[in-house]
Amino acid sequence: MDLWRVFLTLALAISIDAFSGNGVKPATLGRVPPILQRINPSLGTSSSGKPQFTKCRSPELETFSCYWTEGDYHDLKIPGSIQLFYARRIAHEWNQEWKECPDYVSAGENSCYFNSSYTSIWIPYCIKLTTNGDLLDQKCFTVDEIVQPDPPIGLNWTLLNISLTGIHGDIQVRWQPPPSADIRKGWIILEYEVQFKEINETKWKVTGPLWSTSVPLYSLRLEKEYEVRVRSRQRNFEKFSDFSEVLYITFPQMSALTCEEDFQFPWFLIIIFGIFGVAVMLFVVIFSKQQRIKMLILPPVPVPKIKGIDPDLLKEGKLEEVNTILGIHDNYKSDFYNDDSWVEFIELDIDDADEKTEGSDTDRLLSNAREKSLSILGAKDDDSGRTSCYDPDILDTDFHTSDMCDGTSEFAQPQKLKEEPDLLCLDQKNLKNSPYGASLGSLHPCIALTAEDKPQPLPSSEIESTHQPVSTQISSTASLANIDFYAQVSDITPAGSVVLSPGQKIKAGLAQCNTQPQPEVAAPCQENNSMNSAYFCESDAKKCIAVAPHLEATSCVKPSFNQEDIYITTESLTTARKSETTELAPDAEMPVPDYTTVHTVQSPRGLILNATALRLPDKKKFLSSCGYVSTDQLNKIMQ
Amino acid sequence: MNSHGSDRKAGTLLLLVVSNLLFCRNVHPLPICPGGNCQMPLQELFDRVIMLSHYVYLLSADMFIELDKQYAQDHEFIAKAISDCPTSSLATPEGKEEAQQVPPEVLLNLILSLVHSWNDPLFQLVTEVDGIHEASDAIISRAKEIGEQNKRLLEGIEKILGQAYPAAKGNEFYSVWSQFPSLQGVDEESRDLAIYNKIRCLRRDSHKVDNYLKLLRCRIVHNNNC
Repeated sequence: MDLWRVFLTLALAISIDAFSGNGVKPATLGRVPPILQRINPSLGTSSSGKPQFTKCRSPELETFSCYWTEGDYHDLKIPGSIQLFYARRIAHEWNQEWKECPDYVSAGENSCYFNSSYTSIWIPYCIKLTTNGDLLDQKCFTVDEIVQPDPPIGLNWTLLNISLTGIHGDIQVRWQPPPSADIRKGWIILEYEVQFKEINETKWKVTGPLWSTSVPLYSLRLEKEYEVRVRSRQRNFEKFSDFSEVLYITFPQMSALTCEEDFQFPWFLIIIFGIFGVAVMLFVVIFSKQQRIKMLILPPVPVPKIKGIDPDLLKEGKLEEVNTILGIHDNYKSDFYNDDSWVEFIELDIDDADEKTEGSDTDRLLSNAREKSLSILGAKDDDSGRTSCYDPDILDTDFHTSDMCDGTSEFAQPQKLKEEPDLLCLDQKNLKNSPYGASLGSLHPCIALTAEDKPQPLPSSEIESTHQPVSTQISSTASLANIDFYAQVSDITPAGSVVLSPGQKIKAGLAQCNTQPQPEVAAPCQENNSMNSAYFCESDAKKCIAVAPHLEATSCVKPSFNQEDIYITTESLTTARKSETTELAPDAEMPVPDYTTVHTVQSPRGLILNATALRLPDKKKFLSSCGYVSTDQLNKIMQ
Repeated sequence: MNSHGSDRKAGTLLLLVVSNLLFCRNVHPLPICPGGNCQMPLQELFDRVIMLSHYVYLLSADMFIELDKQYAQDHEFIAKAISDCPTSSLATPEGKEEAQQVPPEVLLNLILSLVHSWNDPLFQLVTEVDGIHEASDAIISRAKEIGEQNKRLLEGIEKILGQAYPAAKGNEFYSVWSQFPSLQGVDEESRDLAIYNKIRCLRRDSHKVDNYLKLLRCRIVHNNNC
């Protein structure tokens, strides 16, 4: 132990010498003395047992105090022998005079308190802790760097307002700055931080930094309790003060407030009101004498009813009466429907079954043409499925396939046709008086007169219009030569084109142009062709064609083609052809075709004719045969 | 050319009008000057000056915080860096009580000297720090701003002196300025230490100025009844 003491005293002596002997070199003026510098690091890593400074703080920038811990230094000989010495540099002089702490008591145990007279704000200080001359710890600082204010005091809160629902509220929290800090004169400037939370929560909510001593807290739940605390620090410093005392916020229970959870849906009330309403409705309905209301609430269910028919009658169930009634209604119906000519009825010709078996249609037509045609026209304007056949649109398409018409059966059977023309020609002679009916009748089934067939606004009028020129034609032709100018279809080629038999084309054409000037031109043709045959020879035709000037032909073409009717005569075709072929066949010797095949029908106004059919290799052959051309010849021609 | 000239005229006219509108709004209505001696009230002067000084202090504090972050754990460096500030030769009061005992005009003159002594070091700081530190941009911008505000501060304090203590106006005394050591041809560590010290001193001095002015305001304007 003695040795230890010796060594200790020696060490102390050396250190003291070092202290006293050391002067600040001019070069290092203002620098921390090297001794101190050297000592500091070694002491900085001192063991935990040794007493050392914990902190030094100045709460208001006027005083400061330093604190230390005693540590585990049990070898202190003299308890409480720890001393603090301080030194401060003033005016370029590093005052090495260490002064002892002026006040060990005011700041508590193990502390040293420097009052304002000992405090110089912007001056560096150094303090050291010694015990029996042994240096324990040392520290250097300036007072303005160790500012740590006191906590604020006087926390209180006031209610700002409550939300409409009564659940949330706003409060204003106020506090006083620490009394030690001279805020008033502005010697120290503080900023604050407020923390609050619900009592049950663990995490604090922070608001700050605030420069005023009050802060509003918004949207706090009124049924919960909160706690608030504030702390301060010098502005633009990092060190915060300790927290103030915690303020507990408890809202007074307001009896007027009702909790949402207590609200129960008033089922009882709703049920009662519902029943009441329904009862009122029922009473109104049942006992109301106003039919209108009754109708509104309980509209009547419509009963099935037929106009004009008494449901009671139906109930009684007398069949004959019902039938008569329905029949009457049927009459009305037909009247009703007769106005709409486009409505098509398929009439079953049960009565005409016998008539059907009588020969061909041609016979029927020719024999009973007069009566029948009229009847046909009159009665069957709008019905009979046959009219659908007379559509020119389907002339070329379904001609050979359709079996609907009786007329079409003719086309399908060219053999039959061979015989018929004779009949036609012969019969036509007889039909001078009634060319209208005959011509129409003969051709009615076979050539388009579909005016009544189609949905046209004025079919009847159109028929008449079509018939008008036709009639004029017919009449003119009849008057002239009693010749039927309807072209009879002699054959149908496999290709589907219609071969029309030659007819009194020229006469018809001339007849059309009766109104035209130059009747004398037509005269020779007429006279020549007065043989009353359905056919005329090529030579005759040639003459007439040659005679008939192109102009006439061209002029005559127009009316025929400009007609709105679907009916097209052969002569109109030929005249058309003539006009087309004026340039092509200037030569009078060129065989002018008596007939031509219809290539296509441009419904409803025109026909496109086959040009190639006219150039016939077997011309001479053809021409030689006056009038009628056999089918074989025709086939050759067509091919 | 004519259109150009007329455009110019129109532009200048417009500029004049707009500037008139903008600036004329902020002009406080000055009191009618008796005897041609128009003066801003002292309180208002002080308020403006203190606003400036407080702003300068905040800027310098920010600067120091930025720099201190880099050396936060390096206590040795900090210990080495702390050295005497050049302005410590000025006999400025060291505490509140001392400051309250110094005559106001003396204090004002001291403040003037203090502020004035930082003009050159601030300029130096800008050139020194440029491109060196990581936080140099923040430091440079703040240093420039402080330089600007210091000039205004000087004007304000001179005005106060002229208004409150016209007799003492000529007694400005500047400290024997010991320049900050030049950082030319110095190693990096020394340079860093010097910069750290400079910024620390700047913060200290701006804090001094701010506190002194506030004390003076309370004393002069409110007669110690703040």
